[in-house]
Order: sequence, then structure tokens, then C-alpha cells
Amino acid sequence: MAEYSKSSRTPPPPIATRNCDDPRIDYKETVYLHKFLTPQAQILSRKRSGFCTQCQRQLKEAIKRARHMALMPFVN
Amino acid sequence: MNLYEGMFLLDNQVVRADWKSAKNLVADLVKKNGGEVSTIRRWDERRLAYAIRGRRRGTYYLTYFKAAPEAITAIRHDFELEERVLRYLVLRVETLPETEVELAKAELVEGYTVPPPPSDDEPLPVEEPVAVVEEAPAEIVEEVPSEAGTEA
Repeated sequence: MAEYSKSSRTPPPPIATRNCDDPRIDYKETVYLHKFLTPQAQILSRKRSGFCTQCQRQLKEAIKRARHMALMPFVN
Repeated sequence: MNLYEGMFLLDNQVVRADWKSAKNLVADLVKKNGGEVSTIRRWDERRLAYAIRGRRRGTYYLTYFKAAPEAITAIRHDFELEERVLRYLVLRVETLPETEVELAKAELVEGYTVPPPPSDDEPLPVEEPVAVVEEAPAEIVEEVPSEAGTEA
């Protein structure tokens, strides 16, 4: 078996761990939210964002609201 | 009565005429449907992430207002019909942020001005780059037969 950890396919470490009272998950905080987008402006998976279920859901809502208001892109 | 947060994206052409009257445009539509405006302020003027109706830039107004839940449908409907509002977002919130009152008051002070929006919200001239590209090969095409003719 190939050693997964040594290969280039090693998944990148999670971007953030967050306490669930952080008020920055808001559609107006576009600079912060941009950290959780891929270069193509897809939302990062929970594995890569490092968020818990509730935080990830808030993140998803916030980014989608920001997209609706043209604060963040749908695609890059 | 619940507290709501409303974000409105306005056409810069309206804002350029008078940014305060643009503020009233939003406030009046909320009041018309029985809403009670707590704070309203100009949030930001920025480039849009994507063009909406040919506009590349827009001005955002952030408002907190109290309204009955039944009135929200009517308010949404009115903003849907208002052409000067490009996008809107109405969310229910529990508390009014403390900084919001101060920021809204700061705008009401006499002599408070905002820079006029940059003139970047016109539809982009798509034709121009295409025309330049077309011209360059056209010249080459003309030259090639003439050279071939002299050689022969």
C-alpha cells in the first residue's frame, strides 16, 4: 500500500477551527468569508474548512447571502 | 413587531444624483407598509462581484427596521417592483447592533459628505477590444497576397 501521508495527495490542513460564538460568520464580512472559497469560488468542504456542523451551515448561509447581494462571486 | 435587517443594493445613477434622497427611497418604502425604521445608513459603495443589469458598481444601504411579520411580504413585493433597487435582502434579527446606531447618527451630522460613486457602472464597452483584434489580422491578410504577388 502506498503511504498516503507522503504522497502529494495529502489533504491540506483545515483552514480554521472556530468557537461557535464567533460573530464573523456574517454575509457582510466578505473579507473573512473569502478564506473559505476555492480559487473557483466554491465553498470549502467541512473537511477543509475545519468547521463543525452548525458553523458550516452558518458559513454556507452567509456565503449564499453574500452571493445574492453581489458581494461575493458565484464563479471565478 | 419583529426587528429586521435589510440590505439594499441601489443603482449608482440614483445615488449620484443625491445619496440622501436614495436613503429616503428605501426608508419610504419600508414606512409605507407600516414599518418603523430604527437605523438606516449608507453601508458601502463597491464593485459588484458580477454585473447586474449592466451595472458594475453599486451602493449598499443597511437598515434595521421594526415591522409586523405580515408586512414583510408587502415590503418585499414593493422592493421587487422598484427598479432602482438592484438587489435586496431582508433578514430577521434578534438585536440591533450597538455600533449601528452611532454609525447611522454620524451620517445625519450637518456637513457629512460621501464621495460620489466612480463612473464605472456603465455597461462595459464590449465592442472595442473585439474591433481591435479584428483589425490586426485584416492588415496581415491584405499584406500577404501583395507580397506573394511581388515574389511571383
